Amino acid sequence: MMRSVRLLLLLILFFTSYSVRAQEPASIKINGEFNNVSATEFFKGLEVLIPSYKFYYDASKLDSFTVKLSITNLSLTEVLEAAFKGTDIQFAVDTLSKNIFITQKVKIYTELPDNFFNEKKKLNVNNNLPDSLLDYEEGYNEKTKVAPGRLIEIGRKTNQTRNNVIITGYVRNVRTGEPLTNVSVFTDSLHSTITDIYGHYSLMVTSGNHTLSVSTIGMKDIRLQLAVYSEGKLDIDMNEEIRVLKEVLVSNRKSYNIRNVQMGVERLSIEKIKSVPTVFGESDVLRVVTSLPGVKTVGEASTGFNVRGGSADQNLILFNEATIYNPSHFFGLFSAFNPEVVEGIELYKSSIPANYGGRLSSVLDIKTREGNKKNITGSAGIGLVTSRVHLEGPLIKNKTSFIMGARTTYANWLLNLLPQEYKNSTASFQDIDFSVSHKIDSSNDLYLNGYFSNDKFSLGSDTTYGYSNRNANIKWKHNFSSKFRGVFIAGYDQYQYNVSSNKNEVNAFKLGFDVKQSTFKSDFTYFLNTKHSLDFGLSSVYYKLHPGYFEPYDSNSAIQRDEVNAEQALESGLYLAHHYSPNNKLSVSSGIRYSIFNFLGPQEVSIYTPGSPVTESNRTGTIAYGKGKFINTYKGPEIRLSLRYILTPTLSVKAAYNSLRQYIHLLSNTAIIAPTDIWKLSDPNIRPQKGEQVSLGFYKNFKSNTIETSVELYYKKIKDYLDYKPGGTLFLNHNIETDVINTKGKGYGVEVLLKKPGGKLNGWISYTYSRILLNAYDSTQGVSINNGKYYPANYDKPHDVTLAGNFRVNHRFSVSLNFNYSTGRPITLPIARFYYAGSERVLYSDRNQYRIPDYFRTDFSMNIDGNHKVHQKTHNSWTIGIYNVLGRQNPYSVYFVSEDGKINGYKLSIFGSAIPFVNFNIRF
Amino acid sequence: MRTIFILTTIIFAWLIGCKKPYSPSVISSNRSMLVVEGNLNAGADSTTLRLTRTFKLDDTARLIAENNAQLTIEGRDNSVRSLSGSGNGYYTSSNLNLIIGKEYRLRIITSGGNEYLSDYVKARITPDIDSVGWDRDITGAHVYVNTGDPSGNTVYYRWNYDETWEIRSYYYSRFVYENGGVRPRLLPAEDVSVCWKNDQSRQIILANSKSLTQDIIYKKPIVTIPSGSEKFQVRYSILLRQYSLDKNAYDFFEIMKKNTEEIGSIFSPQPSEIRGNIHNVNDLSEAVIGYVTVSEEKQKRVFITRPTQWDFSLSCTSIDVPKMADSINYYFGGYQYVPYDEGPTVYLGTEPYCADCTIRGGVTTKPSFW
Repeated sequence: MMRSVRLLLLLILFFTSYSVRAQEPASIKINGEFNNVSATEFFKGLEVLIPSYKFYYDASKLDSFTVKLSITNLSLTEVLEAAFKGTDIQFAVDTLSKNIFITQKVKIYTELPDNFFNEKKKLNVNNNLPDSLLDYEEGYNEKTKVAPGRLIEIGRKTNQTRNNVIITGYVRNVRTGEPLTNVSVFTDSLHSTITDIYGHYSLMVTSGNHTLSVSTIGMKDIRLQLAVYSEGKLDIDMNEEIRVLKEVLVSNRKSYNIRNVQMGVERLSIEKIKSVPTVFGESDVLRVVTSLPGVKTVGEASTGFNVRGGSADQNLILFNEATIYNPSHFFGLFSAFNPEVVEGIELYKSSIPANYGGRLSSVLDIKTREGNKKNITGSAGIGLVTSRVHLEGPLIKNKTSFIMGARTTYANWLLNLLPQEYKNSTASFQDIDFSVSHKIDSSNDLYLNGYFSNDKFSLGSDTTYGYSNRNANIKWKHNFSSKFRGVFIAGYDQYQYNVSSNKNEVNAFKLGFDVKQSTFKSDFTYFLNTKHSLDFGLSSVYYKLHPGYFEPYDSNSAIQRDEVNAEQALESGLYLAHHYSPNNKLSVSSGIRYSIFNFLGPQEVSIYTPGSPVTESNRTGTIAYGKGKFINTYKGPEIRLSLRYILTPTLSVKAAYNSLRQYIHLLSNTAIIAPTDIWKLSDPNIRPQKGEQVSLGFYKNFKSNTIETSVELYYKKIKDYLDYKPGGTLFLNHNIETDVINTKGKGYGVEVLLKKPGGKLNGWISYTYSRILLNAYDSTQGVSINNGKYYPANYDKPHDVTLAGNFRVNHRFSVSLNFNYSTGRPITLPIARFYYAGSERVLYSDRNQYRIPDYFRTDFSMNIDGNHKVHQKTHNSWTIGIYNVLGRQNPYSVYFVSEDGKINGYKLSIFGSAIPFVNFNIRF
Repeated sequence: MRTIFILTTIIFAWLIGCKKPYSPSVISSNRSMLVVEGNLNAGADSTTLRLTRTFKLDDTARLIAENNAQLTIEGRDNSVRSLSGSGNGYYTSSNLNLIIGKEYRLRIITSGGNEYLSDYVKARITPDIDSVGWDRDITGAHVYVNTGDPSGNTVYYRWNYDETWEIRSYYYSRFVYENGGVRPRLLPAEDVSVCWKNDQSRQIILANSKSLTQDIIYKKPIVTIPSGSEKFQVRYSILLRQYSLDKNAYDFFEIMKKNTEEIGSIFSPQPSEIRGNIHNVNDLSEAVIGYVTVSEEKQKRVFITRPTQWDFSLSCTSIDVPKMADSINYYFGGYQYVPYDEGPTVYLGTEPYCADCTIRGGVTTKPSFW
């Protein structure tokens, strides 16, 4: 661009020197409407209106400029004068060549000054005038040299003084063009914000001069001198921070944890996730989540996790806004997300923003990166269990990019190492994700996401299990104005599970279930001013759930086809949230979400004698509803309230209250989340789950915010959580309400966290004390568990200590150490023996009255990068480590079996020894 | 990369997953609960119930029998029948003469004065066993049952069995070591070359046909005889007993089976409470283990002769022991070897289990059905 401008300039100078004074193109009259368009769009528009003229400009220098003009019958010059009034933008119209040159500060003259060839001395005298004639590019460079902190002018110079103005824009990685999220953009502690997942920010400042700071971990800090006149746009490109040896630790100015109003939010970047050693060295998004304070798992081979005493189905797991019903591969040994495309995760444990709903305990938001907008790049990795590849790059340079990743496994050899009873097992899994992001213009972005995962395995027998997630969505982000922004998402999510067996030809069967949902969501954000902003929107989910089918494998089978009626429902939510910061100490976020659940026909609903236990014998009949009929409706408000008060710049206190409702339930009678667990919608006989939580937290940063500490306390209550009745059948049960029992729960705890997010030595230590107690309380249920007394849930592990540490020895070598201790989980133990049916057998205690031995594990890994020469085709790295260094045999499960007339107790350890691993990665 | 994989595979050979014995610090409940086992035979045959008590996990007792209780069977038609104690917790009746379709309950008054009563249970028909067959694969022989109810009323089935098999000694023993000397065996009275062994089912065997279009049980595995087992050394016999159940009884047995036989695999369900149909009349909260069923008992006995290429073998050695007192004492005195035959100057000795089938747990009395 610059080169062509310079060339043209020379030509023009050459030709115009022969001409007399230029003629204004006054004869052309222009009519048009420009509503907050960027400079580029403005010039393109004018080129359409006056096709003979062409504009020359450097778009990057005009990035903060927008035009709002209504033109009627004006000449080109008048239009441009009006558009650039109050700015330092200059224009020059060369009527001869019909070129228009747009410059900043320095004006281009399309003709030489009078007497240019005769009176050189006079020119020199005038050299200090602003309108001096210089080669455009040289002139610009000279200016920047004179003022090293480049002054950026935002908006239009006007005489009116406006107190608050909003600056919006994107922050991107200059190398890849990817948007950067959670970047702090601020002028001072009152005027600060962070970029959203699109890299977009909206910062409210007062008009006048400011120093704008932009910082995030891993990027070079940027400080910009701003002269702010009115609303404007400013896109910022950041350079990656190149660490040098003997680096001086620069504290990042992230005091986000102090200032953010939300409580109980955990953010992790993929770099941090990758530095945590995991079994087999497979970077595992969910495994790292389970090491965060307040998050527990039943066992290490389970990716189902429990947040602050919630059950595993109470977590909303979103992958690029798509709901993932089973986030794991291979019975939960691995999470189903390719670490090469994931950008980072956010886990909301306490203050769940009002735009999320439908699950009681938490929201885990997993985002993939946007593809590199400049070059095609990719990576490939080989581990002991999976190999993976990812590719990203522009489809249209700087506008449209894609990113895709795929993983597959060759884990069959691993299965042969499993305990004897699983010999002859086979397993395979794959996952594929694909995203396209397209920037339509400065205020419209379009995103397309697809996700597919598939698991197939047979466990030591002729029975084949399989499950699969399929998700797709499209997202449109539109900036109505710098203050008003909307995001629209339409998507489809599906999860299915199936089993087939054909060993015994008469009993050969296929069985399965699936959940499908279509979603539509719209979220709006409106910034009123520095003190107020609003979020509002609505969402709708249409569920179609097949709770189960059982059918003959082929025509030889005598199996009778059985299917539980499909369930349909519509869940809608309408929300409004108000963020209010009356001063720089207090900030309040209050939201309300009203959710409505309609259970829809066609369906046959069983009726039970009112007030009696819901059992088969009390069923009085069924009512059939036609297609699309509204069978029943549950509705109610959910409150989301959080409050922050800054006591000192490094100390704040926060409080929050949340209430939530959940209309879809996971029914399980195994200790872990098993793929066999089925989903069930609320219906006239199954009430929605309700939960509420109050929490209080203190946040204190030390050493210029390089060390973050926090203490969070919470108390929560759960109502109408579904547990199974002793001996209940969950699969293919046409009247599942007779085999489940409504349970209430209470949970409380304190989470202490010490975190050092950056620097050579980084990581966190956390201690959690928490309890979760359940009570099957409903007298109308017929049976109760433990005689209606409170009992600990399977995942009640009161004490938990986690350390996740990483030390960068140098630029190419880092070591990570993990340490994990927790109380053993509750278990139902045998309390007596008896002799029955030829064997000695055991009698079990009340549910969950004892605990398995405490859990303790240490992991270690080393990351070795290849050399960092820039000009090589590929960069490679190695990860070598040991999972469970101490080889401790942590019992996963304890059980008692009668063998040869005797009772033998066993403890089963899944990873019962030190497990070394190697992982190789190539980036290109 | 290939070498790395080979290397890591070797490393992995000793790593993943392990199952270790576990005995938690003693958890003992002082309560000793009543356990009731057995079926009230609605057919023409005898009925045996057994009353026992639970015992602590760390108790050395193998079984605590509940003797001297009074057991009566009460019909809804006000009929009363009683069972008589035969010791070791057993209570029997040669024929209860129950009527199919009528409802009965069991009343137990223990010697301690506690009174227990079961729910009323309807006497059920049990269909005949169609056939008992067996399959063989590399792991062994699998005995299965085929049955069904054309009327479709049975649906839930339970079985138990007694098995008997003939064993033979490797060497025919004509001598016996006794009182420091060797004497000829009195034959055939002291013959120990052929024995019979017995065992009974030790697992709860259940099946149902509720998901089938017909009430058929096809090839339900009953017992597996592992390859090389002595059970097939000569001839094997199984007496299979079949009972029909109602849904509640089936659920009870299934929970007991799940709790005590199937816990521990990755997907295994958690133990759940065992709820029977017997209660303490004065204290409903007292746990009583057991479920009274009232069904006909149907039996079928089949014989299986040693299949071809069934490689059962005993590892036996034969030694020559000079007919001298100190040699005899040296080899036979500690029962390390026993004499079985003789040469001119020597006794032939072998390991005791090679010459004497009673050492292997057999009895020499031929069963009446053999």
